[in-house]
Amino acid sequence: MRPILLQGHERSLTQIKYNREGDLLFSVSKDHVVNAWFSHNGERLGTYEGHIGAVWTVDVNSTSTLLVSGSADNTAKIWDVSNGKCLKSWEFNTAVRRVQFSEDDKMVLIVTEPRMGFPATLQIFNVENGLTEPISSEPLYNFLPEGPKITVAAWSALNRYIIAGRENGSVVLIDAESGSIYSTNKIHELTITDLQMSADRTYFITSSKDKSAKVVETESLEVLKTYSTDTPLNSAAIMPKVQEFVVVGGGQEAMDVTRTSSRQGKFECRFWHKILEEEVGRVRGHFGPINTIAIHPDGRSFASGGEDGYVRVHHFDDDFFTFKFQI
Amino acid sequence: MPVSATNWADEVDGEDQPQTFTDANGITTIIEYRTNDDGKKVKVTRRTQKKLIHDVVNKAVAARKKWPKFGKEKGNKPGPDPATTNVGDNIKLKLSSTGQVVQEVDEQHEAMKAQLQNKKILCRICKGDHFTTKCPYKDSLGMEDAAAPASAPAEDAAPAAEQQTGSKYIAPHMRAGASSDSKAGSGSGDREKRDEQPTLRVTNLSEDATEADVSELFKRFGHISRVFLARDRETGFCKGFAFVSFTMREDAQRAQEAIDGRGYDNLILRVEWAKSSA
Repeated sequence: MRPILLQGHERSLTQIKYNREGDLLFSVSKDHVVNAWFSHNGERLGTYEGHIGAVWTVDVNSTSTLLVSGSADNTAKIWDVSNGKCLKSWEFNTAVRRVQFSEDDKMVLIVTEPRMGFPATLQIFNVENGLTEPISSEPLYNFLPEGPKITVAAWSALNRYIIAGRENGSVVLIDAESGSIYSTNKIHELTITDLQMSADRTYFITSSKDKSAKVVETESLEVLKTYSTDTPLNSAAIMPKVQEFVVVGGGQEAMDVTRTSSRQGKFECRFWHKILEEEVGRVRGHFGPINTIAIHPDGRSFASGGEDGYVRVHHFDDDFFTFKFQI
Repeated sequence: MPVSATNWADEVDGEDQPQTFTDANGITTIIEYRTNDDGKKVKVTRRTQKKLIHDVVNKAVAARKKWPKFGKEKGNKPGPDPATTNVGDNIKLKLSSTGQVVQEVDEQHEAMKAQLQNKKILCRICKGDHFTTKCPYKDSLGMEDAAAPASAPAEDAAPAAEQQTGSKYIAPHMRAGASSDSKAGSGSGDREKRDEQPTLRVTNLSEDATEADVSELFKRFGHISRVFLARDRETGFCKGFAFVSFTMREDAQRAQEAIDGRGYDNLILRVEWAKSSA
């Protein structure tokens, strides 16, 4: 397969995301810009400009009308996907680490960092009819979760819980209405770098700096599968269709990269069999650590964003679809 | 013999215009003639078949494809812009069931290969494309050839190397045409006389060969006017080569043919005509 290289960013990628149909790919990086691409040919649809700090996170709603982005300039912004207009900008005391639309597109989850005496917050805003009506500046809920810093968060099915990953490697289940913590499970040794839900949100995958990725059941927070690699992981994604695979990526810490060759850096996307926990293949190409991985909703392609500033979109060859794992 | 007005070779000239025809299966054939880089005329035949493919896409997706570009892309024409979108090198995703997917390539080997990619490897001995240390002729002709020029300036009897060296320092009294004092004058006269003589260069002699050995070896072919054996200045051992001057060219010729390639003291001798110093 010949990857499509997207060079829309001047600094390292922080997150990439497909929309529900998979025809659009959104990428954010530390260079303040949000890019929208057509995933089939790599054509850039446009850019969303307005942030004045590194953009940490992005999400798009299921109808591909609204886009939310969170940045280190202490704001989160809602954009009109079709024309790049900023519809709303929320101000916070500290940087925004994670944003996500709820399953019904009515709410947005925003995680802010604890810094300069301000505690970490987990806020939920109402964005229903956000395209036509003005969006409220006041959050529906503002939780102040105790304990170590929250690095990643996601909605569970039917917006019942918020699943959050912490800096100390634990995952927590937070009630989406009261903010109370239902349960906690320390599944990793080090900080959790990514958390992506399965298609039906009954389980999710986490990646961690402790060189492993894990599939965890949502309700019980029980670890179902573990994928142990030899390098710190920055991202993990579940392939929704075609093959029972998960894709994990990472590589040596960015600060150590200049001291070793790209081969030693292990900057590869690794394909693991989701159920049998066996590594099945690797895709190389990045010359820096892989920061983020996203898989097309129909499972026919995937994209990875690296510290090197490139997004690589890979459309699988035919033999990928016919591959059968031999036990 | 009468020459016909139209040569068969020129007949194709009339077909220079591209020809296009479509057959019953809808395959269009285009025949073109063009001149390639070597100035030769080549015929290019291309067969194309057009097929209309209907693809069902999501309505929302189709609508999004028509969206005008915005932001930095505002006003740009449809299609990927090479400034932001490129196609990378082909990557093979090899799926395996064994769990052994580590494709380690010998890193040192790769690095060495990359280093030498632009460098031409040239053997100093035989000018082949391998390292000097790996030369198959290293033992038979390598050492002497390498040793000869090094030792030549030390002995005025090694005429070959002296004149070749354009950059090497040559003392004024040894330079060509410099004959100011009587001693040098007589020396150069001596040399001139010597140069006229048919001289053989014998290489790959063993270390303990002497002038007597060499003249013993060559005197059977004819009268030898002079034998010079290069010796190491410190140890006094033979340096491995010698010059043998005959009075008769025929004798020298026979000696060269007979001794060249002969074994002597466990070494294979090499005999060739000494290059004139003039």
